[in-house]
Amino acid sequence: MSKDYGDYQLEEGGRGEAKEKESVSRRSLLSIGWIASLVSLIGPGLANIRYLFPNVLYETPTAFKLRKPAEYPPNSISFEEDRRLFVFNDRHGFRAMSAVCTHLRCTVGPFGPGKGATSRCPCHGSLFDKQGRVLSGPAPRSLDFFRLTESPDGRLQVDTQDIVSADMYFKV
Amino acid sequence: MDDASGTLGKSKVSRLVNWIVSTRVWRSIIRHGNPDNDLDRMQAVFTNFFLHIMPARVHVHTLRPTATLGLGVIALFLFFILIITGVLLMFYYVPSVDRAYNDMKDLQFVVSYGVILRNMHRWAAHGMVAAVFIHMCRVFYTGSYKPPREFNWVLGVVLWVLTMFLSFTGYLLPWDQLAFWAITVGSSIAAYPPLMGDTIRFMLLGGQEVGQGALLRFYVLHVAILPIVISMVLAVHLWRVRKDGGLARPREGAGGAHPTSAVGSGDWDTGKTYGLMALARGVTPVVGTQAPEEEVTAWPHLTFRLLVVFVATLTAVTAVSLLFDAPLEEIANPTHPPNPSKAPWYFLGLQELVSYSALVGGVIVPGLAVLGIMLIPYIDYSPEAEGVWFTSDRGRKLAWKSSLAGAVSVPILIILNAQFGLRTLWANAPQIMVDIVNPATALLIGMAIFSSTVVRRTGSRRLGAIALFSSFLGALIVLTIIGTFFRGANWVFVLPWEQTGAGH
Ligand code: HEM
Ligand code: FES
Repeated sequence: MSKDYGDYQLEEGGRGEAKEKESVSRRSLLSIGWIASLVSLIGPGLANIRYLFPNVLYETPTAFKLRKPAEYPPNSISFEEDRRLFVFNDRHGFRAMSAVCTHLRCTVGPFGPGKGATSRCPCHGSLFDKQGRVLSGPAPRSLDFFRLTESPDGRLQVDTQDIVSADMYFKV
Repeated sequence: MDDASGTLGKSKVSRLVNWIVSTRVWRSIIRHGNPDNDLDRMQAVFTNFFLHIMPARVHVHTLRPTATLGLGVIALFLFFILIITGVLLMFYYVPSVDRAYNDMKDLQFVVSYGVILRNMHRWAAHGMVAAVFIHMCRVFYTGSYKPPREFNWVLGVVLWVLTMFLSFTGYLLPWDQLAFWAITVGSSIAAYPPLMGDTIRFMLLGGQEVGQGALLRFYVLHVAILPIVISMVLAVHLWRVRKDGGLARPREGAGGAHPTSAVGSGDWDTGKTYGLMALARGVTPVVGTQAPEEEVTAWPHLTFRLLVVFVATLTAVTAVSLLFDAPLEEIANPTHPPNPSKAPWYFLGLQELVSYSALVGGVIVPGLAVLGIMLIPYIDYSPEAEGVWFTSDRGRKLAWKSSLAGAVSVPILIILNAQFGLRTLWANAPQIMVDIVNPATALLIGMAIFSSTVVRRTGSRRLGAIALFSSFLGALIVLTIIGTFFRGANWVFVLPWEQTGAGH
């Protein structure tokens, strides 16, 4: 005796051998069902992971204005505390160097006076020179330099996403 | 309850108790009789939802304080204390960068008993990190990870890592200087794994910087996700303790463990049969492995001990909380790290390693260490002397020697690095070289060679495991001590009494 389940003919009593008419065995039908239901979880799973990555960030903008060039004394290093960067003004022009340590993002300390002045990171003691190079400590790479431009109202302007080489000067 | 009347006397109180216990309401809640005989004692455990995680009868070895030092139970009770105090703190704490810090101040100065709850939560968290770690050491040194307990050891390592995450996420919530910079540094370590790093950090922080997004994420992890995950893994952990046959204990005749001393006579009444409640399929305390007179009923022998440990734990946490206030620094200042800027003590060993190379010290070495610890029972599965501290006298000596070796090699490596470190000899060495040649890698390789030599010389994997684990332990303790007491402003070496920075 057999019952008719649409296309699939199953033998009464379940596990019996497949009949000739049967195109899919009970076992493979069930495995397909299991696999399909598991596969169907992948999409929602990925969607939930994607959900964790915000599309809009309400963070401090990466491009911002500094002071007017004339407000930085010649041959000086100024520390812009709120922006975590140094502004160098020497005879070649202006440069902006990140004060965010390349090791684990602490703010590096101030430069002393003098030619060979260095800056030390308080967190794990990395030591940087005025070119941003690592002299010692765990920092894996030099401090970043950012492109400087002049804003329409005559102030220096920085974009921290625009990284430039250490010998790129901005001349007023 | 006719049998009780004789012992209880005729005072009004005992008559009242007898009446309550015999009411229809009481008997609908507690189904078993007065636990004054073994059958009812076992039912007291067996029929109670909260107690039935325990076996109805336990082996006397399990109850000896020296067998477990009660550490798993202490960790568990600290976790309970954390949940209760933590939920209470949630009534006042708002995870917003504008409010979080002020809410902490309110808890300290405005809310009645707020400061004590906050202290208890903080100190219990420190205690739990310590208890879980020492529990792991006790399980290791008593060889309690041997088959069939391999997987429960793995679950334990998972619980250890989750506990560390739990305390790490909680650390940000006060939004003070300590919190902000510890999380800035910690989440930057998460950016070091190649390829995935920046994505992981972005997902963890919900942005590019430690700000509102990060605070909210850490809060949700701390109060919801991690406690729930820990509770679930913990449930399996404790269930596995039973299913693996109770706690590991010395085999009969394996020296030691004679089943009388610690617990007293045990009132096992041999004429009786106890039916299914005492028996289950597979390895249980009863099946074939032990004689009935080696075990006692869990009620009251185990339950009473649990109560004692709980009261002791709660008392200790309360006492510490009355005496010492949890630290709260100035409000977070995202531009200016405190100097020195230190992680909590249980991460300072890691911070010391990170100060040579973030990739190796912060990602690779800890990752391999956790993996290596997880794999211990799959490498050493010899059924040697389980449940015996250090396995043998030889094991005990080896444990001391290897932890000493680990401890001594740390300062030696640090001094060598300071004198002949790669950057001091070769200032422009490429980063990959700096990552490879540093104290963390040297430690790891040294330990691997050391322990495989022990295995080859002695032919015992257990001794090899002891060498590996002990040298790891010695090194970790010394690294933590150095990070805590010998690192000052700008992370330069100082002597402990010259410390200026904030401690915690
Ligand atoms: C949230 C953290 C943890 C809690 C609350 C916890 C709780 C417990 C408890 C209550 C016991 C019963 C015996 C005792 O008190 O020692 C136990 C046993 C055990 N634990 Fe844990 N544990 C935790 C983490 C760990 C860790 C980190 C490991 C090791 C990597 C571990 C491995 C084991 C093993 C293998 C046993 C069975 C020991 C034996 O048979 O003697 N557990 N745990
Ligand atoms: S963050 Fe600067 S040295 Fe680690």
